[in-house]
Amino acid sequence: MFVARSIAADHRDLIHDVSFDFHGRRMATCSSDQSVKVWDKSENGDWHCTASWKTHSGSVWRVTWAHPEFGQVLASCSFDRTAAVWEEIVGESNDKLRGQSHWVKRTTLVDSRTSVTDVKFAPKHMGLMLATCSADGVVRIYEAPDVMNLSQWSLQHEISCKLSCSCISWNPSSSRAHSPMIAVGSDDNSPNILAKVQIYEYNENTRKYAKAEALMTVSDPVHDIAFAPNLGRSFHILAVATKDVRIFTLKPLRKELTSSGGLTKFEIHIVAQFDNHNSQVWRVSWNITGTVLASSGDDGCVRLWKANYMDNWKCTGILKGNGSPVNGSSQQGIFNASLGSANTSLQNSLNGSSASR
Amino acid sequence: MSGSKPDILWAPHHVDRFVVCDSELSLYHIDSAVSSELKAGSLRLSEETTATLLSINSDTPYMKCVAWYPKYDPECLLAVGQANGRVVLTSLGQDHNSKCKDLIGKEFVPKHARQCNTLAWNPLDSNWLAAGLDKHRADFSVLIWDISSKYAPETAVATEKVRLSAGDVEAGLVVTKPLYELGQNDACLSLCWLPRDQKLLLAGMHRNLAIFDLRNTSQKIFVNTKAVQGVTVDPYFHDRVASFYEGQVAIWDLRKFEKPVLTLTEQPKPLTKVAWCPTRTGLLATLTRDSNIIRLYDMQHTPTPIGDETEPTIIERSVQPCENYIASFAWHPTSQNRMVVVTPNRTMSDFTVFERISLAWSPVTSLMWACGRHLYECTEEGKASSLEKDIATKMRLRALSRYGLDTEQVWRNHLLAGNEDPQLKSLWYTLHFMKQYTEDMDQKLTGNKGPLVYTGIKSIVKSSLGTTESLRHSRSGSDRQADIIQYLSEERSLALQLCGWIKKGTDLDVEPFLNSLEQEGDWERAAAVALFNLDIRRAIQILNKGASSGKGDLNLNVVAMALSGYTDEKNSLWREMCSTLRLQLNNPYLCAMFAFLTSESGSYDGVLNNVAVRDRVAFACKFLNDAQLNRFIEKLTNEMKEAGNLEGILLTGLTKDGVDLMESYVDRTGDVQTASYCMLQGSPSDVLKDERVQYWIENYRNLLDAWRFWHKRAEFDIHRSKLDPSSKPLAQVFVSCNFCGKSISYSCSAIPHQGRGFSQYGVSGSPTKSKVTSCPGCRKPLPRCGSKSDEKVDLSKDKKLAQFNNWFTWCHNCRHGGHAGHMLSWFRDHTECPVSACSCKCMQLDTTGNLVPAETVQA
Repeated sequence: MFVARSIAADHRDLIHDVSFDFHGRRMATCSSDQSVKVWDKSENGDWHCTASWKTHSGSVWRVTWAHPEFGQVLASCSFDRTAAVWEEIVGESNDKLRGQSHWVKRTTLVDSRTSVTDVKFAPKHMGLMLATCSADGVVRIYEAPDVMNLSQWSLQHEISCKLSCSCISWNPSSSRAHSPMIAVGSDDNSPNILAKVQIYEYNENTRKYAKAEALMTVSDPVHDIAFAPNLGRSFHILAVATKDVRIFTLKPLRKELTSSGGLTKFEIHIVAQFDNHNSQVWRVSWNITGTVLASSGDDGCVRLWKANYMDNWKCTGILKGNGSPVNGSSQQGIFNASLGSANTSLQNSLNGSSASR
Repeated sequence: MSGSKPDILWAPHHVDRFVVCDSELSLYHIDSAVSSELKAGSLRLSEETTATLLSINSDTPYMKCVAWYPKYDPECLLAVGQANGRVVLTSLGQDHNSKCKDLIGKEFVPKHARQCNTLAWNPLDSNWLAAGLDKHRADFSVLIWDISSKYAPETAVATEKVRLSAGDVEAGLVVTKPLYELGQNDACLSLCWLPRDQKLLLAGMHRNLAIFDLRNTSQKIFVNTKAVQGVTVDPYFHDRVASFYEGQVAIWDLRKFEKPVLTLTEQPKPLTKVAWCPTRTGLLATLTRDSNIIRLYDMQHTPTPIGDETEPTIIERSVQPCENYIASFAWHPTSQNRMVVVTPNRTMSDFTVFERISLAWSPVTSLMWACGRHLYECTEEGKASSLEKDIATKMRLRALSRYGLDTEQVWRNHLLAGNEDPQLKSLWYTLHFMKQYTEDMDQKLTGNKGPLVYTGIKSIVKSSLGTTESLRHSRSGSDRQADIIQYLSEERSLALQLCGWIKKGTDLDVEPFLNSLEQEGDWERAAAVALFNLDIRRAIQILNKGASSGKGDLNLNVVAMALSGYTDEKNSLWREMCSTLRLQLNNPYLCAMFAFLTSESGSYDGVLNNVAVRDRVAFACKFLNDAQLNRFIEKLTNEMKEAGNLEGILLTGLTKDGVDLMESYVDRTGDVQTASYCMLQGSPSDVLKDERVQYWIENYRNLLDAWRFWHKRAEFDIHRSKLDPSSKPLAQVFVSCNFCGKSISYSCSAIPHQGRGFSQYGVSGSPTKSKVTSCPGCRKPLPRCGSKSDEKVDLSKDKKLAQFNNWFTWCHNCRHGGHAGHMLSWFRDHTECPVSACSCKCMQLDTTGNLVPAETVQA
């Protein structure tokens, strides 16, 4: 059974993103109040805000941690058209006593002409790399050639997606059998342009990213996208937050079967599709093994999804956004998928979209 | 608000009350009611709230607009604007206090009758009530009344222009002289007071928006626009104003009033209401005619007066509070994002607009989400049954219980895994038997069969082709008729050993196995195994024992009885009945027993179903001929591979087939832990070079890292390096003399290949106890401990005796170091390096070092 408790966040405006570091001991939040806060978990499990600073001159959409191998490094992206890389530095001793840490901006990435909607560090094995996407439909991939010098980032790739991008996700697989891959979601509103999810793969021969797949069945605006931790599986799992929750599997066909072009061909299946949120789905997130998916929707609920041994995905938990169990039932109710659907029909939300970002 | 179309207003201070007004005013009280049954007379607004009608006021006909008195007291005082331009004060409260009594019924009458469009109380000076009227020739259209004025009208005016009842006049309840008259020769459609100053009034006039300053009524600031309806000030940002016209909303900044800072996407239908959320910054709700959707505009950041660098950003959302068209809505004054909507037929619903929730899983299974400005952490609490536990939780717990690390009693690993998964049990028993017999063979030096064991029964059976001898037996154990053919070969008996039926050696005695099954209370299985070894008496004996044991099943006696009636006769009644009735037996082993007894020799299809894989295989090895056996094993292997069933490892062993099987197991469950440990059993073999196996191992190590199980990972790496020497990390650190540059660890080591003497955390020096205090190469002194300068860093401590405190440790940044214990105690009080003149903050630089290994915290 899942129990939620509230943490005083003390942000002055909407929180747009929450992100854990590799160990789950630190957390970063970002908000429309233009600030980022870093939280550390104490021994007794409480979260303490150890840093809070103004990062951008606009709403901060997303914040993300680099692997601790590269130090304590954060990246943020904002409506102010920039993305920034931050590093914690060992401060003066009085900082430490106050329980505060100090973060400095190492670089500002200013290539976008529009709002930068997502930022993600690449999987560790690729080195210190960072991808951003922006509302003008460009995915940019940066690399810090010297991991000790975080102020130097070179723009390695620019992928034009032609559609306003809202979210990106790296394929976390570190297997040598899998080329680097990034999925891009678009929140474009027009119904006639299909494929709001595109998947780009790095081609060793051309040294460029090329479109490997487009999920033609996803034609509604996509708000979030997430590859599951691969965990040694022979296929990839991709969750998409659009007007419903969708889970796709992408099984790479054996290289020898594909043409010599170098791009991997995938066998794509949709393994689950849930409209229980009855409205736009806003975010999706995988647990560490890629076996439980959490989603949030405009019905104000958080739902958990899990596959049984037959690979049938089911809802295993519902909680309201304020942490209370759905329908006031405290024990069994939250595990019951059918509950909550009756009342949420009243609380339908339609057509959530972001305009003029 | 015209005619029948209801509008809705929340009480500004009594947060549980609201008024619905159409042709009359109805006051409702809102209650929280979680229970499903409704109290009499109350209406359900949402699943948590109900509304009760408190009172109805139908004293004021021809209502055009209503405004609630903004102060706490008197409660339920409302101003009603009528179609004839009169403004009437009325109340919905049951108990009238004296102050209220004076006011109720008071009327404010304009000179010329025309429709009153809008009313606005001054939020600070609550005696001031502004009314906006339609145009009447050159008359004023904005009138500000003082409700406390006792001014009685001149009778001439009253009788001529407005028909007043004599009683009212006498009671001093009619006021005809406004405090201020504004907006001459114009019409006023909407009004609101500006919170910046209590004397500023914003009015939507006929063709412009105007700001009237009551300190100087001759002056006004105005801007020509069509968007003059519904002017309303952002409660969080007092210079931001919204107004609308037809389907378009304009947002104004009063500091640069020349043109709207923003116009929102035009709606196809005309708007009816626009309102700022009183509990959230920059959230504007709009409603159009004949629509069941409320559109929300989230203005993402405060507009700046100067610098057009950032145009305001808007996140647009739509919510549908109910199925029907919405007539009007009202934000709750204090509850966050809550509103009540009313439909044309006066059904209401209480509705909360949810913030968009962003969420993230932490590596330890807790979920964090942000809803609005709040954070919520959700953790799994209480004892979930093992079936509900996710593999992430399971692997964590198993790692803590040292799962996979029992290399002596390999079968015990399934107990460490929680003894709940039959597949894991089968897997670890298989690996246990494989290990046992490999060791046996090594001892006996029987040569080339050793490596064969780990390749699984499939390859063992393949290699046995042609060496099989057959024996004829009778099923009943009597020597009447030998109708059963048993097959024997060295390989088959090895296979039986791997299945666990017989112990080491070549004697085919199943008795120890039967005894152990009896001990576990697995009576049916024991009986079946006994029967398959053609000992029907023993089988019956086992069943009897089972029936008489403590929690035994009495039916076992019945089965025993049925068994004892066994006859060889082909056409006997017993045979006939058993063939049909066995299908109704629930226990697969009982079923298999009768299938065996009734089957023809050589065709055992009925027997080879449903029971555990190892018993099926053992049975097949006993009773199938070479061709049949091969076919059977081949088919079963493929089935197991397909399903990712770990019982199949018995067949595939740790071969490429086994990796294929494990791959589908990992695909199905994500259990890389079992996959890694399984492949790291037995002898070094080629499977470890398989990319997939390497990838599982890498993934599992990554999981241990993420969980901060560093000791577990070290154990795992040690375990791994035993089988896969290539995985040993290369020496990362060498210690050399500061002066001559020669390696010290090499010279003071007694063992020749001690090149990698210094691992990350400790020194594994030579076993000699003599302290080496100078470089063996150049005789210059070795460095001293940075913290305690009197002690020398002893690089030659005995590996086993060296406590962590005595380990040599150093800072990667400044390269100063000393004994770990000394360093730790130094940094308890200091932040800087103990070496004088070095200002390196060694300890704080080590961010992962500050992370406590999770095992010690959570064990």
